[in-house]
Amino acid sequence: MGQLSLKNVVKTFGMIEVVKGVNLDVSEGEFIVFVGPSGCGKSTLLRMIAGLEHTSAGDIVIDGKRVNDLAPVKRGIAMVFQSYALYPHMTVFENIAFPLRVEGASNDVIRQKVEKAAAILHLDQRLQQRPGQLSGGQRQRVAIGRAIVREPEIFLFDEPLSNLDASLRADMRIELTRLHKQLGATMIYVTHDQVEAMTMADRIVVLNAGHIAQVGAPLELYHKPDNTFVAGFIGNPRMNLLPVKCTGTSAAGVTVDFNGQSLTLPVTPRAGIEGASLLLGIRPEHIRLGAGDASMEIAPSVVERLGQQTIAYVTLPGQETDFFCVVLPGSQSVTVDAPVTVGLMAADCHLFDGDGKAFERRIDLKLLAATAA
Amino acid sequence: MARDNDTRTMIDRYTWWETVLIYLGIFVFLFFLLSPFIEGFLVSLKPLAQLFSSPYRFWPENGSFAAYVSMWESVPGFARYIFNSFLISTVATTLVLLLVVPAAYAFARFDFRGMGLVLAAFLAVSMFSGAVLLIPLFRLMRTLGLLNTYFAMIVPGVAFLIPSAIWLLRTYMMRIPTELNEAAYMDGASQFYTFRRVILPIAMPGIIVVAIVTFIGAYSQQFIFALTFNSKTEYMPLPVGLFAYFGKQEVIWNELMAASFVGIAPALIIIFFLQRHLVGGLTAGAIKQ
Ligand SMILES: Nc1ncnc2c1ncn2[C@@H]1O[C@H](COP(=O)(O)OP(=O)(O)OP(=O)(O)O)[C@@H](O)[C@H]1O
Ligand SMILES: [Mg+2]
Repeated sequence: MGQLSLKNVVKTFGMIEVVKGVNLDVSEGEFIVFVGPSGCGKSTLLRMIAGLEHTSAGDIVIDGKRVNDLAPVKRGIAMVFQSYALYPHMTVFENIAFPLRVEGASNDVIRQKVEKAAAILHLDQRLQQRPGQLSGGQRQRVAIGRAIVREPEIFLFDEPLSNLDASLRADMRIELTRLHKQLGATMIYVTHDQVEAMTMADRIVVLNAGHIAQVGAPLELYHKPDNTFVAGFIGNPRMNLLPVKCTGTSAAGVTVDFNGQSLTLPVTPRAGIEGASLLLGIRPEHIRLGAGDASMEIAPSVVERLGQQTIAYVTLPGQETDFFCVVLPGSQSVTVDAPVTVGLMAADCHLFDGDGKAFERRIDLKLLAATAA
Repeated sequence: MARDNDTRTMIDRYTWWETVLIYLGIFVFLFFLLSPFIEGFLVSLKPLAQLFSSPYRFWPENGSFAAYVSMWESVPGFARYIFNSFLISTVATTLVLLLVVPAAYAFARFDFRGMGLVLAAFLAVSMFSGAVLLIPLFRLMRTLGLLNTYFAMIVPGVAFLIPSAIWLLRTYMMRIPTELNEAAYMDGASQFYTFRRVILPIAMPGIIVVAIVTFIGAYSQQFIFALTFNSKTEYMPLPVGLFAYFGKQEVIWNELMAASFVGIAPALIIIFFLQRHLVGGLTAGAIKQ
């Protein structure tokens, strides 16, 4: 129950293809997060799963049954909208009770279910108020309450927290994770917010212009991005990408020329890449002061001190449009325009070919998770 | 310690000279708006002889409500005229609402081929002066056999009132977020259920405004239809009834004014009750802004 498959799903609006053939299998009880830049089709894909948007091509399958032409209720799906979409003239109680009233449930059943949902969401004291009298966080909880009373197999959320302030968002994030554990239902969650994606998701789906760029567990996307798009999208500040020349391959990996230094990256080589222009990726937080397997001299043009960390931005010669970014522990001092030497380790580096496709990194995610813990 | 009990927000607080200016503006506006009514009311209080005295006196001497009593005797059928006006306006308003509420919803929510054209046609029709169409309408009424019935005054009125009512209500309904429809649809509600339980209550302030505007429209436009399509005294509405105070030799001005005030009283009462249901800001909290 609550298993969902998307099979080559396509959505076109007039002449414009917005979702371009998406394949995805979601298992029961999974928490899936869709992320991607604005306009990449996250909401559209979610609305197709919901049954609000007609599917132009492909199949949406829930629990082994093709549901393309079924109404939302028949799909066992509930949705929490980007705008809360509460009924302003109804009390909180009636808002949450609405799906049950539609079903024609008896008053006793309605009262019992609404009160149960209200208790889970800490809305017990608010049941007789109208949405207009509630704060943003409370409204969002009412919207969630309306979704859970129907006990759906699959929950859909479209940026439910985007208009809450930072601390409320953090609270709601934890509350949603708790709710997911408690209900055990499948959840599909759209967000712009990387922190939400990284902390809540079992698996993240990164969308780029209607395609899936990569699907994977949060740390998998962080450590083994398939392409430069995912590499740039996951992680904040974004990964630095530097053009390098490949000088050779060996059992140890791919050797590149980095700033006149020879650097061998532990990635699976491919045939015929010698002499090719590649992109070396290094996350700002993996750069350190002093020497490393390779090093470079930088003169920061902007320095941001956040206390815990210090972020330095550098304009590299030949790359004036883009910043090279370094994240250092807050205890280390760098100053604007004062040259310092920074180093990076070969094991931390990513390597991409001319098309932005990643070379497989030779790292064990389980090992990384273990050392991180 | 002195505590400021003023609950107005800061933006609603004014300095003394702003307050003076605001009240001055309101006074000037109200004076222009109400002065004919004030004078009309004063006239209704004056004895007839005083009205023709020279020089003209604005304030009544020996003012009394005598005209409000005698008016019923001068024109015995007057109560019937009021009833007719009231009936015609009420039936017309009800019909307009029954037709316009679903139509406005359809125009607000559904996209269909030729919608723009239909809406433009409505606008064009409502710009026609009713007078231009009186003769064709007369022939239509005669063909339909509606001459000299209440319907002769109701049906054309409804037709003329519908276009602007649709435009007004459609605009109001378009402001109701479509997410509410989608949320209800997700919860399994049918179009009709959603319309009745979600859209209709939220649109109520708009519907009441349309009802008021339509009622006033029906009240004021009926006499032109009455004079053209009806010759039966017992169906005549109020404005026609007022002509009865124009006697052969003289106009009984004080009774005419008294009758005018009595005549609009039912309309005022209806409007008063309708506007009490006007609740502002009903959509507050529906979606996050
Ligand atoms: N009804 C529609 N008609 C035409 N184009 C549409 C429609 N709805 C969405 N689109 C287009 O589809 C694309 C994807 O929209 P969608 O709302 O799915 O983006 P999104 O990823 O949710 O973006 P955001 O993060 O800004 O919410 C956009 O380019 C948008 O302009
Ligand atoms: Mg969206």
